[in-house]
Formats: sequence, structure tokens, C-alpha cells
Amino acid sequence: MIKFFNKTIELFLSVRTAIWLFNLILAMFLAGALIMPGRKEFQSIHATTMFEWLKEQPFGITWWLWGLIVIFSVLAINTVFCSIDSLIKKQKVTRWLILLAPQIIHTGFLFILLAHLLSALGSFQEYAVVRKGSILKIKNTGKTLRVQDIHILSDHSGHITDWSVNIEYLLNGEIFHKDTIKPNKPSLEMGFNVNVKDIRMAPHKTALLQISKDPGAVWALFGSLLFIVGIVTLIALKIKLER
Amino acid sequence: MLVLILSFAFFIFALVKRNFLYVGFFLQVAYIITRGFELGRLPLVGPHDTLLFLSASLIAFSIAFSTVLKHDSRFSSGIAIVAAVFTVCALISKQHNSPLPPVLKTMWFEAHVVLAFLSYALFGIAAILGYLYLQKPDNHIEGVQYRAILIGYCLFTLSIIFGGIWAYLAWGTYWLWTPKELWTSILWLFYGLYLHARLRQWWMGKPLAYLGIAGFAVVLFTYLGVSLLMKSSHSF
Repeated sequence: MIKFFNKTIELFLSVRTAIWLFNLILAMFLAGALIMPGRKEFQSIHATTMFEWLKEQPFGITWWLWGLIVIFSVLAINTVFCSIDSLIKKQKVTRWLILLAPQIIHTGFLFILLAHLLSALGSFQEYAVVRKGSILKIKNTGKTLRVQDIHILSDHSGHITDWSVNIEYLLNGEIFHKDTIKPNKPSLEMGFNVNVKDIRMAPHKTALLQISKDPGAVWALFGSLLFIVGIVTLIALKIKLER
Repeated sequence: MLVLILSFAFFIFALVKRNFLYVGFFLQVAYIITRGFELGRLPLVGPHDTLLFLSASLIAFSIAFSTVLKHDSRFSSGIAIVAAVFTVCALISKQHNSPLPPVLKTMWFEAHVVLAFLSYALFGIAAILGYLYLQKPDNHIEGVQYRAILIGYCLFTLSIIFGGIWAYLAWGTYWLWTPKELWTSILWLFYGLYLHARLRQWWMGKPLAYLGIAGFAVVLFTYLGVSLLMKSSHSF
């Protein structure tokens, strides 16, 4: 039993395990890249949370996603073990930044994985075609959103050059916040992201409004920043050492 | 277009005399700047403009790497051939001259695309160095290949982060499950594999050189293959 335990620990402490896992993940992604474009089921992947969506779809087209979840979980354990092992083994190193930089990268990677897990568990998107005066209910909040106005600018050839949608948030019929949605400027309210997916001028000014929530977004940003801080530190230290 | 034909000719001459590579480079940079002024934006939409930016970035980075490689003529010849191929592909590709849709008018898009192509250029340099290593194994070349990939990986990661922020602001999520994102993940993990493989003795030498070359094949498919063949927000 102890022998088996030690073997398992050794397996998780090995860079070779990480390399094997990388290869397996690449194989799963390649399978997904071949399967996904040909199947219309993937068009509804954002309609509900990813785990709900996965349960509803045939295993024949989603096996690679299940595979990725399992292998990424093992890689996360491998990353934690390798980082702790590295910190213990090299604690007498005087250049502590050289020791820390790869661990910062690893921590960032783990936060990115956590972000995808949170998004897969709790994100959702809802759509509605709206015009001036349209009212929408915001899920589980008791609040509503009213479209005050839609502005569209176009050039002489009919290309839309700019647009904006003015909205009001209401609670019990009272306006409590006003906002304007523009290209790349959504309305961020109560953890929801309200943006315009599409906009039309004719026959009436209409917009395809999207209300979404992505609980992983903040963690993805945090993890990415850690990852980049780690990698920039590593490059800077390597250049310094070479000089 | 004449400027591009001339730059192509200079890249071919560079196979004989290296300095012609820089003449072709300056012509290409001049063309990109002129086009930018004409369009009133960064000329980085569609295969014509992006191929030229990739070609110019490749040569710009090669100047720094040439110094480290002690002006190895095989390296500059490799760069000249790749730049010439990209220039020909740009010449036969359609220019994207129509105004940009409002969603593309943001610094997140510009930073995302610029960083992606700078990283592609570094991955291209790494592939050339991998080829040179296979011709004549030399640890110094392998070390330079590693540096190109490490810096390229950093820029590529930044490009993904900026793309994610832009996607969140424009479409409400940082991850859209499009073929381009799938292939971008493949590319990012592939170079992640390279950086980890380098820690193991077994992978040192030829296997790493092959990985560096294969990585650029994945780059080209992610950039051109996916954008031309598959439908996504990144389609040409």
C-alpha cells in the first residue's frame, strides 16, 4: 500500500508526467478541432452552462471535452505537486526570483483552469431582439431593463460606422440606473454583461441584445496577469543572468 | 504593388548578398506605413496586410538574432526565403480596403493582432533555427531557438489575454468555442509542451529542433488554415 502511494506521488512529481499529459491534451484538442466544425450541436454550447450542455449531448461528439476535463484535472494536480516539490528542493537557492517565477506561472495557469471551471458551471447567455421601448426581465434579480433609444450612424455606402443603445434599469417600476451600450463598451450591472450582438437599421432600428454572466471572467484575468508577470520575470532574469 | 514586387526581388537577391534583405525590409515597411495612412488605421485585416506584417516582423526580429548568431549566412538565407514566400502570398491575396466594423475599432483588437503576429514571427525564426540545427547540430543554435520560443510564447500569451478582454467587452465572454480558439489553444499548449520538454534530457537536441519546426506548421494552420477554411470571428 505504501509502495503504491509512493509510486503515485512520484508519478505526480514528474515533469515526464506533465509532458505526457500535454500530449494527451493536444490529442483531445485535435479530435475536438475535427469533430466540432461539422456538428451543429456545438452552436448551442453557450445556450446553457457548459456542464448542463454536456449532459444533454451525445457522448459520441463530446467525449473529447470529457477527456479534456479529466486530463486537465490530473495536470492541475501534477502542477501543484511539481511546484511544491520545486520550492522544497530549491529553498536554499539565493536567487529566489528564479525559483518563484515558474511557480507564479503555474499559479496563473491554475487560476485560468479554475476560471474555465467556474464558467462551465455558472455562465449563461440570453438573447432578445429589442426596439425603442422594449422591456426585458433580468434573470433571478426582480429587475428589468428598458431600451430608451437606439442610435445608428452609417456612411454613404450603407456600412454601419457607429452605434449606441441607451438603456435604463428599473426596480419596482422606478429607474435606478441609466447606461449606454456602445461597440466594445457593454453595460456591466449586478455582475451581468449586457451588450449588443447585432444591430439593424431597416425596416426599423432593432438590436440583438445579449444578457450574459460569466463567473470565471475575473479569475481568468487574474490568472492571466499572474501568468504574464511570471513569464516576464523569467525572461528578464534569464537575460540578466546571461549578461 | 510595384514596391512589393521589388521587395520580393530583393529577398531573392539576399540569398547572394545579405544586405539586400534589409532593402526589401525597408520597402515593405514603407508600404505598410503608406497603407496605414491611406486606410486611416493599422493595416492588419485580411491575409494581404497580415502576411506583409508577418514578413516584416520576421526580418525585424532576425536583425537582433543575426547578431547573436554571428551573422550566420544560412540563417539570413532562411529568413529571406520565408519572407519571399509570404510576400508572394500577400501579392496574390485580396486587399481588405472596406471600413472596419465598429467592433474592430478598439485598441484591444490592435494589440491582440500585433502581438499575435510578432509571436508568429518569433516562432518562424525558431523553426528556421530548428532546421539549421538539424543540418549542423550546435548547442548555441538550440539555445537561441529556445530564447525565440520563450519570448514568442510570452507575446502570444499576451495576445490571447488581450483577445480575451476584447471578446468579453464585445461579446460578453472571454471564451467563444470557435475553431480559431481551439487551434489557438493547441498552439499555446504545443509551445508549452516545448518549454517543458526542454527540462528533460531525452528531448534535448534533434527532438526539440523538430518540435520547433512542427510548431510553426501549427502556427501557419492556426493563422491561415483556420481563417480561410473554417467559419469564425477570425475568418478572412
